[in-house]
Amino acid sequence: MSHTPPVAAGDTFHAPTGQTVNTVLGPIPASELGVVAVHEALLSVIPGAQYAPDISMDRTEIFEILAGKLAGFREHGGRTIVDSTGMFHGRDVKLYEALSRSTGVHIVASTGMGPEEMLGGYFLTPQTNPPTPWPAGKFADLFSKEVTEGMVVPRVERRGAAGLVTTTAARTGMTPTEESLFRGAARTSLKTGIPVSIRFGADALHDLDIVLDEELPADRVLVGGLDRKDADSAALGVAGRGAFVGIDNVGLNDHAGYLTDHDRAELVLGLVKAGHADKIILSGNSIGVAKGQPDYDLPFSHVVSTFVPFLKAHGLSDEDARRILVDNPRNLLTVR
Amino acid sequence: MTKVNTVLGTIPAEELEIVAVHEHIGYGMPGSELDTTWWKSPEQAYEETVPKLRKFRENGGGTFVDATGICNGRDVDYYKSLSAKTGVHIVACTGFVGGDTALPHFSRATVDYLAKVFIHEITVGIGNTGAKAGVIKVGVSRGGRMTDLDRRIYRAAARAAVVTGAPILTHLAIDPEPAVTIFNEEGLSLDRVLFGHADDGLNAPITPHDWIYEQGGRIGFDTFGYDLELPDPPFWGRKRAERMEHFVNLVNKGYADKLLVSADANCSPLGWPGVKGHTINYIFEDMIPDMRTAGIDDATIKLLLEDNPAEFLSLQA
Ligand SMILES: [Zn+2]
Repeated sequence: MSHTPPVAAGDTFHAPTGQTVNTVLGPIPASELGVVAVHEALLSVIPGAQYAPDISMDRTEIFEILAGKLAGFREHGGRTIVDSTGMFHGRDVKLYEALSRSTGVHIVASTGMGPEEMLGGYFLTPQTNPPTPWPAGKFADLFSKEVTEGMVVPRVERRGAAGLVTTTAARTGMTPTEESLFRGAARTSLKTGIPVSIRFGADALHDLDIVLDEELPADRVLVGGLDRKDADSAALGVAGRGAFVGIDNVGLNDHAGYLTDHDRAELVLGLVKAGHADKIILSGNSIGVAKGQPDYDLPFSHVVSTFVPFLKAHGLSDEDARRILVDNPRNLLTVR
Repeated sequence: MTKVNTVLGTIPAEELEIVAVHEHIGYGMPGSELDTTWWKSPEQAYEETVPKLRKFRENGGGTFVDATGICNGRDVDYYKSLSAKTGVHIVACTGFVGGDTALPHFSRATVDYLAKVFIHEITVGIGNTGAKAGVIKVGVSRGGRMTDLDRRIYRAAARAAVVTGAPILTHLAIDPEPAVTIFNEEGLSLDRVLFGHADDGLNAPITPHDWIYEQGGRIGFDTFGYDLELPDPPFWGRKRAERMEHFVNLVNKGYADKLLVSADANCSPLGWPGVKGHTINYIFEDMIPDMRTAGIDDATIKLLLEDNPAEFLSLQA
């Protein structure tokens, strides 16, 4: 096993000195991020699947698969990957530390939870009478400590700081507990300086407005899933409010609920034309290792090696390509 | 030959001695492991737990049934070390405390899948521990009525109980009609089911004790010691004398062969503060003396604490 240190990304990436991004191996200068995949999953475990007798949680096997995929990402120019699954969906901080040391890829891990359906009973039916679900302030406290004190290895120890706080609303519409999660995530961002990543439920602008209502600046927010067909034309509205537009199911071409890469390209080029090149985030939402759910084996490098060349062939400038792959994720992930 | 699954292996029921049939080494709601408010060092956990088990042993306790469900902090390797070092038999459970403590992988699952999980844990083992579960835990979610998920878990538990002969412990005995229907439909004899928490302050008034007994079910007075006289009683607490009066009333009706008793205490709680001053040893220090004062004879006390649980825990495949 090699122990390549994470490499500096080269001289084309400019960022003001002193700005940092939280990775699992500690804060690094924002200028070192390079090409970033912002909405991905490393180990993704449906809560509870780790206890199922028919599901293997072999660490060596999981490590080997993830290391192979991260090496592939790196070979295609990728430098930083964000595991945006939050704190209760298989996140394994110590495994990610070892993977980052071994592959040289920067790994940003996330705090946060959601949708409500994925929460544990501790947050939904606590041992109080009546069993009132958690309010925003308690979620904010739980998530913020994952930045100020470090991410938890449950009941054992805290590790490095989370680099992103993520949450999701139900497709049928945001539930009251999810509103608490969204507000808690926004307050976490305000308190700690890490960005918020939301995956919208039924209405992207409504869900974005919940976090903005906490007086969080829009440029600290990434709205994911805007390449869903039911997002309609929310991408323009999200960019118009100043938030980042997550076109983050790139490579998904056979799902009735999502645009194809061909239509995604049109969406991207349209946003660029409308002056929003600085708000576009592309990612694949791929899953490195899936447990308790179907595999989704798209290479982490799909955006950089396949989709961006396709965009360039359809008129995206080199400058905008670099903006989308490097500058926008860096601006989003920089702790402020 | 009577067989009972403990975390250190299958033993004859004759070895059980006095049984505490519904207890917890440590219980926490799923997700509480993320909140450092509740974390304890291993030093602290052993320090809080070992003396209670040692005292339980010294008092004549033989077997501790842990009713902590799959997603509630159940930690079988830890139980194995506690059992090996204190000499107390520990029986671990499969199943869930209630639908609202089953995490998404299980809450989305079919009855068939859940039954396979329970059967695997009883006949093959729990995770990589090699330890087989000895009882199946099910329960009613918060809200007072059985949810659709609760019913799926009850049905899966019934199937697993029929196949393996393991008994079922319920969390709460309220709304028992759907449960009894499910058990009957699955062909499970109701004397394999302990309808638990029939004595707590919140639920005793809405639990149909006579009806459960008439159906052939066992009744759990298994929150002994959650007394309102405690300095900081939980919301399910009950006046000490009132619980005992209720209990004696059922004994006098002739229900003793279907009654089981326990304290439902946490040795070292995982995701909540616990209730200070309440331990498993309430059984010896308060409950048994109170029973004697109330006129319950020693033969009945032996029935409640040894014979009934031995019969209940024995795998009847
Ligand atoms: Zn209990």
